[in-house]
Amino acid sequence: MNRVVLVVGLLIVVPLLIFLAIGFRFDPRTIESPLVGKPAPEFSLVDLDGRPVALDDLLGRPVVINFWATWCQTCIVEHPILLQAARSYEGRAHFVGIVYQDEPEPIRRFVERRGAWGPSLLDPSSRVAIAYGVYGAPETFILDSEGRVVRKVTGMVDWDVLTETLDSLL
Amino acid sequence: MTSLVGQGLALVALFLCAFGTPIGFVAGARRSESALKLVRRLALAFAGVMLAANLLMEYALVTHDFSVSYVAQVGSRATPLHIAIVSLWSSLEGSILFWGLVLGLYTAAVAVLQRRGHEDYLGYTLGTLLAIGLFFSFMIAGPANPFRPTPPPVPPDGPGPNPLLQNHLLMIVHPPMLYLGYVGMSVPFAMAVAALLRGQLGPTWLKPLRNWLLVPTSFLTLGIMLGGWWSYEVLGWGGYWAWDPVENASFLPWLTAVAALHSAIVQQRRGTLKAWTVILVMITFLLTILGTFLTRSGVVNSVHSFTQSPIGPLFLVFLGIALVATVALLAWRVESLVSEPSEDSIVAREGAFLLNNLLLVTVMFTVLVGTLFPIVAEAVRGVKVSVGEPFYNRMSVPVFLALLLLMGVGPALPWGRSSRQQLVRALVVPLPAGLVVVALTVLLGARSGYVLLTAFLAGYALWVTTDQSLRPVRVRTGKGESLGRAARESLWRSPRRLGAYVVHFGVIVTFVAIAVSANYQTSHEATLAPGESMPVGQYRLTYDESRVDRRPHLVAQLAEIDIERNGRLVGELEPSINHYPTQREPLGTPAVRTTWSHDLYLTLMNVGTDGSIGLRAIVTPAVVWIWIGVLVRVVGTVLCLLSPARRREAAT
Repeated sequence: MNRVVLVVGLLIVVPLLIFLAIGFRFDPRTIESPLVGKPAPEFSLVDLDGRPVALDDLLGRPVVINFWATWCQTCIVEHPILLQAARSYEGRAHFVGIVYQDEPEPIRRFVERRGAWGPSLLDPSSRVAIAYGVYGAPETFILDSEGRVVRKVTGMVDWDVLTETLDSLL
Repeated sequence: MTSLVGQGLALVALFLCAFGTPIGFVAGARRSESALKLVRRLALAFAGVMLAANLLMEYALVTHDFSVSYVAQVGSRATPLHIAIVSLWSSLEGSILFWGLVLGLYTAAVAVLQRRGHEDYLGYTLGTLLAIGLFFSFMIAGPANPFRPTPPPVPPDGPGPNPLLQNHLLMIVHPPMLYLGYVGMSVPFAMAVAALLRGQLGPTWLKPLRNWLLVPTSFLTLGIMLGGWWSYEVLGWGGYWAWDPVENASFLPWLTAVAALHSAIVQQRRGTLKAWTVILVMITFLLTILGTFLTRSGVVNSVHSFTQSPIGPLFLVFLGIALVATVALLAWRVESLVSEPSEDSIVAREGAFLLNNLLLVTVMFTVLVGTLFPIVAEAVRGVKVSVGEPFYNRMSVPVFLALLLLMGVGPALPWGRSSRQQLVRALVVPLPAGLVVVALTVLLGARSGYVLLTAFLAGYALWVTTDQSLRPVRVRTGKGESLGRAARESLWRSPRRLGAYVVHFGVIVTFVAIAVSANYQTSHEATLAPGESMPVGQYRLTYDESRVDRRPHLVAQLAEIDIERNGRLVGELEPSINHYPTQREPLGTPAVRTTWSHDLYLTLMNVGTDGSIGLRAIVTPAVVWIWIGVLVRVVGTVLCLLSPARRREAAT
């Protein structure tokens, strides 16, 4: 038995494994948004029926803002999650969809077929999406009741993340 | 039904491996012929079952059987047949199933091809391979089961595979090549385990080891090259290598495998570096597993990464077991592999080999540190950092230049001790060749120090490589043989020697092409309305019109660009932007005009509503020579694998 080989080998191997294991705690896809911890950009948009919705009117409760589009496959996949969440937190949190680079007509058909979990706000020149630093759909921002961004999820929103964050705010 | 049969096959594979592993080790430890026979049969059966499972999955993919969960995940009625076939390796579960097939085929090949002459080691080798197979069959049967039934209702159609896979034919061949390289490294690893357990490394071990190392290394070379080529042809940034974690993951085992191939030569010729060769071979395998873990687990961020899944932790457990077992085995047995005493001078070919090994391992460590640093930084300080191209280039370019120097100096040096006069002659004679190439490069307009240094070293190495590969012919003609006969006999009797120099020749070509292409790119970007044109290099590009091409699985916007060179129309290119219904970001497909001296590379950045386009054009010299260099290397490797005719085994 060669002790030197054993000790040196383990000294290299064990820390490597520990660091790799710690690596699991972090999701590399969470792109840190500079907005986290800051007040969310104000917006005032209209929904599919032309009713105005402004961020200011929603405050007082946590707000979930989801940027989505009908051409985005992941949005279709996460749609049931949002439906379920909106139902579970009815009266306790607001759920708002902002349409990202899409037209009212397909949006209307989509909502009719799959159901709505909140108003679908039209953002014709992507001004709000740009203010939020959205780079693709879907992206989800979770705001506390004062309108501060608590969390941003890029890509499909996860049920656990969504409910844990909202529960911590309620 | 398909689900059921598939899951059954996975369980049979699991059983065969679980049964075969201990039998292999018993066959090794007791030198039992009946156990060896049994384990060989089990190895063949494992390969057969894996083949059946993969064919079954292919059948499900081709017939769009969405009741199989993997098909529901990557299949689509709109995808063409050839894409449906290659979807097997387009996603995590399928790629692990495919891994199992490749591992099975390698295991069976070892069981068949090494049945004679390698008996001392074969039991242990097959036992180790089946132990690796045990892990993968467990993954296929359990956590990464691609045959799981889709929960009802079964969907009528699926989303189709990743659009990147559909975008280019190269993507069909790149992953299998990489797998053949990655998985193949299990064989030399298993042979190293066998050597340690047996406590000896004789010629019946070394020769097969070199072949079994050479085969996956050249698949890996080809796989890495195809990946670079694909990224060049598809991704649209005009480059072929980005030091992305996944690229690094394939590069790491390649470096140690090449080092091991060289140290095995020294071992064969001089009887030294035995333990070192074994360690390199084992590290190579561990790096393939580390690379797979990094890229499949979502621990690092990369364009390639698969989603986070429970597979990651299991891979980490496997990596942990393999690492600790390797360390323990080395600590326990390494002293049995004593090198023969060496009286060689360091200024001899052995010295060059040793230095080559140190340099390759240095690059490997640099790249490994760069790849792992973000993970360590995140674990320790909780911050996200990324290690970019400048780090890798600054650290690795000098080392690669040193390797190029060695490629010239090493083969020129004689083995063993030599007189000072011999040394000086061997090293001075090729100098003018280096200077001639530098002069040519200057005439062609190069001024950068790095490029000129590369040119000098390449010229020097080219001279030595050519001189060395022709040496046997010269010796023969000196004895009065005719030139044709001498050339034929030299090739016939020592293809391995010639093959090695052909590989070196390919490497030199690749190095020069990389240096030139990295240093002399010109690019130009502009917004063009129909009929407008822009210059780039010696070209003038005129935007004709744009059109839309609708196909079942994608909608492509194409721009027709007329290419004029020195005032003469030489062709038309059509870069495009592809919209896949399943992908949120559109994918650009560049159009490339390749010539022997340079590439013209066009990417369409956007198409405006008024019909204007954003166009980026890049002229890069020598790109095609990178691919040619790699193909030359593959030809060299094939030569190396040819058995020398009518030559008795040299007892070393």
